[in-house]
Amino acid sequence: MKLLEVKGLTKKFAGLVANDSLDLEVNQGEIVGLIGPNGSGKTTFFNCICGVYPVTKGSVRFEGKEITNFPAHKICKGGIARTFQLVNTLMNMTALENVMVGAFCRTTNTNRAREIAEGILEFAGLPEKKDILGGSLTIADKKRLEVARALATKPKLLLLDEAMAGLNPTEQKEAVELIRRIQREGITLLVVEHVMQVIMPLCERVVVLDAGKKIAADVPEKIANDERVIKAYLGARYYAKRATPRSE
Amino acid sequence: MGRLKPLMVRQPRIFWRKNYIFALALALLLALPFIFTARFQHHVMIKVLMFAFLGCAWNIIGGYTGQVALGHAAFFGIGAYTSSLCYIWFGLNPWFGMLLGGILAVAVSAVINYPCFRLHGRYFAIATLALGMIIRLLFTNWRLVGGALGVRLPLLPESLWNFQFHTTKLPYYYIALVLCALIFAILYKIERSKLGFYFRAIKESEEAARSLGIDVAKYKLVAMSISVFFTAMAGTLYAQYVLYIDPISLMPLMTSILICVVPVLGGAGTLWGPALGAPILLIAIEYSRAWLGGGGRGVDYMIVGAIMVAIIFRPGGLTSFFQGPRFRQWWKRIRG
Amino acid sequence: MLWGAIYALVAVGLSLIWGVMGVLNLAHGDFLMLGMFGAYWLATLTGIDPLIGLLIVTPAMFMLGLGIYKSLITRVVKAPRLTALLATFGLGIFLRNLAHFLWTADYRLIGNTLVGDRVITVSILGGTNFISVPKLLAAGGSLAATALLYWFIKRTKTGRALQATAMNRQAAALMGIDTERMYALAYSLGIACVGVAGVLLTNFFIIFPEVGVMFVLYALVAVTIGGFGSIQGALIGGLIIGLIESIGGFVGIPALKQVLVFAVFVIVVVLRPQGLFGWAD
Repeated sequence: MKLLEVKGLTKKFAGLVANDSLDLEVNQGEIVGLIGPNGSGKTTFFNCICGVYPVTKGSVRFEGKEITNFPAHKICKGGIARTFQLVNTLMNMTALENVMVGAFCRTTNTNRAREIAEGILEFAGLPEKKDILGGSLTIADKKRLEVARALATKPKLLLLDEAMAGLNPTEQKEAVELIRRIQREGITLLVVEHVMQVIMPLCERVVVLDAGKKIAADVPEKIANDERVIKAYLGARYYAKRATPRSE
Repeated sequence: MGRLKPLMVRQPRIFWRKNYIFALALALLLALPFIFTARFQHHVMIKVLMFAFLGCAWNIIGGYTGQVALGHAAFFGIGAYTSSLCYIWFGLNPWFGMLLGGILAVAVSAVINYPCFRLHGRYFAIATLALGMIIRLLFTNWRLVGGALGVRLPLLPESLWNFQFHTTKLPYYYIALVLCALIFAILYKIERSKLGFYFRAIKESEEAARSLGIDVAKYKLVAMSISVFFTAMAGTLYAQYVLYIDPISLMPLMTSILICVVPVLGGAGTLWGPALGAPILLIAIEYSRAWLGGGGRGVDYMIVGAIMVAIIFRPGGLTSFFQGPRFRQWWKRIRG
Repeated sequence: MLWGAIYALVAVGLSLIWGVMGVLNLAHGDFLMLGMFGAYWLATLTGIDPLIGLLIVTPAMFMLGLGIYKSLITRVVKAPRLTALLATFGLGIFLRNLAHFLWTADYRLIGNTLVGDRVITVSILGGTNFISVPKLLAAGGSLAATALLYWFIKRTKTGRALQATAMNRQAAALMGIDTERMYALAYSLGIACVGVAGVLLTNFFIIFPEVGVMFVLYALVAVTIGGFGSIQGALIGGLIIGLIESIGGFVGIPALKQVLVFAVFVIVVVLRPQGLFGWAD
């Protein structure tokens, strides 16, 4: 079942085309990766889907319904949650309170929200930190908290924006574990990432952006060897060098 | 080590100790007018309570939701004028006038403040400042509501129903006390409810709030409306106390500033902030005015100014002194 | 209309301070008042005419600004927005009431100025208009001062360093600019500007403790219309206010011309917070 369907999404910022006619599909239960060099428009793409930016052209459909240009809070209520590239922790509230804010999306009762939040903190591996102020957490915990908070809104689709940035390899492993657990809960994921070792084993499909355009979309193994992708990341000269056999 | 003891054993002791302190404080507040019996002292006490109330009201939009509004005196004025004029023109009882004033204030604020909500901090602050000035200027020049001369309320036989008391001003004190208890109770509930959480989330990060399903504009409006409703109620109290209202003394910029400084001094966004800020500020003002001879020597506001500057040395306000680890340990000890 | 130039000078100082260090100096109007009182006491006690007193008061104001910067503003820069706003406001309130305490609320006027009450008649569009010379002088002086400041900021090395600090403190520091000195300079210059405006005003305007309140509010409006952080914006903003006031004075009740100014202010803030030339905060 097509959960998210983006057609021809274009976003212009006063002359700069950040997203150029992008098409994307995410099916229920998948983990789809979105990669591309810096500045290729990945976060802009997320922002357009989530109602942070109004789109210049194109449409976004969720569960078959038009949600293009809906305000951000309505999109969250509709079942799409997201995390931010630069963590957006509510600094002066405890970890528990942070997640409770998310939980309040689906309930009005404070005790119920607290129960949900505690459960999710447990799921995300942060139960001992629940009374620590958001601002005092480590970056890895902040990221985890942000995921937990997003999960509290009971999303059907979760958009993760560079969840691995700033994490050391151990923390990355734990993050991947968390993402797998989320998938097991039945939540579909669209993940923006830079770290290849994470994307390749995790995602079933990978979409590649470069300078606002989609340049490839396929299974991870094929993407890793796709010449356009390599060119985009490492430059045409490197590709040419690599293609030329070196004499020993 | 204490964690090994079951909670059931500890609870009654905590309950008793903390409530003991509250009961004592309440008894003190009730008895205060009989401990200090001079008329001037009663006047100061009423003013303190009124500003504690106003400070709590401001806290809702300014402290919790983080939107600094510097034009609240306008709504104070709207409340006062509504109840007074409705009595004079239509014979409406001031208590109902109080509610009507609140409703009217909410309506006006919805219209003029709503477009300002998309402004960031500083801009919102000066926009509300300008709006407050505009309203004051309008009232000063509007002959229908008395213009600069204001409105004088007719003297009525004193009674609770009439909301006027002449032989002694004590009943105003107790009315103000009830109003304060009311607003503290309401704030207490809000703090623990979805509203409270949403307000604080908006203050911390509007972007994050939106991504979590919070309609930021709507909740800012809710916060503003609650805040303004209570601010207007205080206006009616004031009008019934002084029995004469005019734009110059009712809605000057200074009042808006005091409404804002009281909670910030005590601790913006905390429940007890206004309760700490109001007595200190108001007592300093009223007594410096009285002791240094007839109004107009400026010392009272010099103190206000100095306090406002001093706050930067402790942005968390006075309640932040009660949040350090040493105080926490002491508090835990007396709690049992 | 001549008032516009004077508002502009006040606004320019405000804009400079805001632009460079992000502090909204709400005490600005009260420094104006101090400048005015400075000129007044100089004239009354020593007989020095305001126009000459300008040479004494301006450096004095600069030093005052420096002193205030070092003692208070360094803290204000680091404080959270709400308390910073209240702090400069509080400083203003303090100064205003200090003046009240020291010198009472009496209105004062400097008599016997060099410039006097001379009036020149000008024929514009058929009708004769009387333009007061002191007012003209004040407006002209304000424009001159603004132009001087503009030249300083755009053409001198220090001025450019100020601009750099305004745009990005960290980047400026990395390039070897002593940003702390720049902050102090900006603040002191802003105060000096408003001091000049004050002295020029004493040639014809009354002096009293509350005089700064309306000026700072107008300056705020001017800076908002013109754009925070932009000198030319502040200038144009000031001139626009002068214009609005004149129009308001013609059309409606005098008291309502203030409402008009504030109404325009609110509209501009809501529709285009960054004003005409500034960059959004």
